[in-house]
Amino acid sequence: MSLTSTDDSIRLVPASRFTIEQLTALYNKTRVDYMVPMPMNVARLADYLHLYDIDLDHSFVAMQGEEMLGVAMLGVRQQRAWITRLGVLPTTRRHGAGHKLVKGLMSAADSLGLPLIMLEVIKNNVPAHQLFLKLGFRETGELLVLRRSPRIPPPDPVVADAQRLDRTDSLVLVGHDRGMQPWTNQSESLTNAQEVSGIRLTLADGSRGWLVYQRQKFLLTRFAFKTERGAPLTVGHALLTHLHSQYPRLDTQIENLQVGDPHLPAFYDMGYMESFRRIEMWRLANSG
Amino acid sequence: MKAKILVLVIEDMPDNAELARKVLTARGYEVILAYDAESGLKTAKEQHPDIILLDLGLPDYDGQTLAGWLRDEPLLTHTPIVAVTAWPQETARQMVESYGCNGYISKPINVANFADQIAAFLKPPSASK
Repeated sequence: MSLTSTDDSIRLVPASRFTIEQLTALYNKTRVDYMVPMPMNVARLADYLHLYDIDLDHSFVAMQGEEMLGVAMLGVRQQRAWITRLGVLPTTRRHGAGHKLVKGLMSAADSLGLPLIMLEVIKNNVPAHQLFLKLGFRETGELLVLRRSPRIPPPDPVVADAQRLDRTDSLVLVGHDRGMQPWTNQSESLTNAQEVSGIRLTLADGSRGWLVYQRQKFLLTRFAFKTERGAPLTVGHALLTHLHSQYPRLDTQIENLQVGDPHLPAFYDMGYMESFRRIEMWRLANSG
Repeated sequence: MKAKILVLVIEDMPDNAELARKVLTARGYEVILAYDAESGLKTAKEQHPDIILLDLGLPDYDGQTLAGWLRDEPLLTHTPIVAVTAWPQETARQMVESYGCNGYISKPINVANFADQIAAFLKPPSASK
């Protein structure tokens, strides 16, 4: 059933009523003027829906008459939801479509009994940030999107006892004791991804840690990591030297690393650059 | 008589691509368009353009990844690659240097001097000093 507004002509229609081609075209049109537009083709959006457990029955397209004004999607996992891919056509912004889309997703999460809603907004996207604050979301962190060029010469791997981890072992590690991660980096995201593997290192001084990643055709991505013993900077550096010496010709992009992560200097030492930042926001049920 | 300078514009937004084509054609350049990374790479390998203008946000693979592929092509090693991006200047500068581009032009393009900006990347190093 469509959710129909009582105060204006904008109505919400479940995204599952549209083809993925329609959703892809709409999403791209909503982002044309973004500093970081992140356009997608159909295959990329389909992969995104799978990786991040997007529920199209509880995601929405904002319509006015027969015109598609905007889109917003809801990721659904145990006890939590995620708002993503929110966008409104530039020519139709500031008329309530974004507000209505987010309210629709909040109602959908509530109807599914999910007490926590998470999202990220690109830093300096002031209108979206203000909208989420107005709807009761609160900032919980600042996240980095980092990139490393394959043109950077591979480092020499730090001497360590290195163990390659297969998919099964890697997924066991990411499923344990990492706290609440941003949606993109949660264990479900890696479980849904192909070509996941990892490295576990023990250094001469007893420091120890692991790194799990997805290896795509041209790209290393979706990092999860942990220092189990010792200094995070030392362990992080050692893990990255092993990773990049193993894949010297692959590009690397990692999303949503916390700005306060103690491993972060190791990434910069290894040639990673900051692409942009996001603000992470949460809203708990009945929090206003 | 010298053939026209061939410009490959790789840009997923048709309006932006057409604007670039219109501005550059008016200045005597020959312009070909590609709308994603895979077709951009294919076109570059087949047509050997004199310069490549590269949007960093593409729908299949992003512009940085494509810049790396282009640089790995022996016949394109010395072809100027110019990123066209809305990213902040410092981010754009770091990104293009790291991925082997020759420089960048900020979006939205300035129609009045866009062709001159392209011409500057086509000058031999000695002429640009």
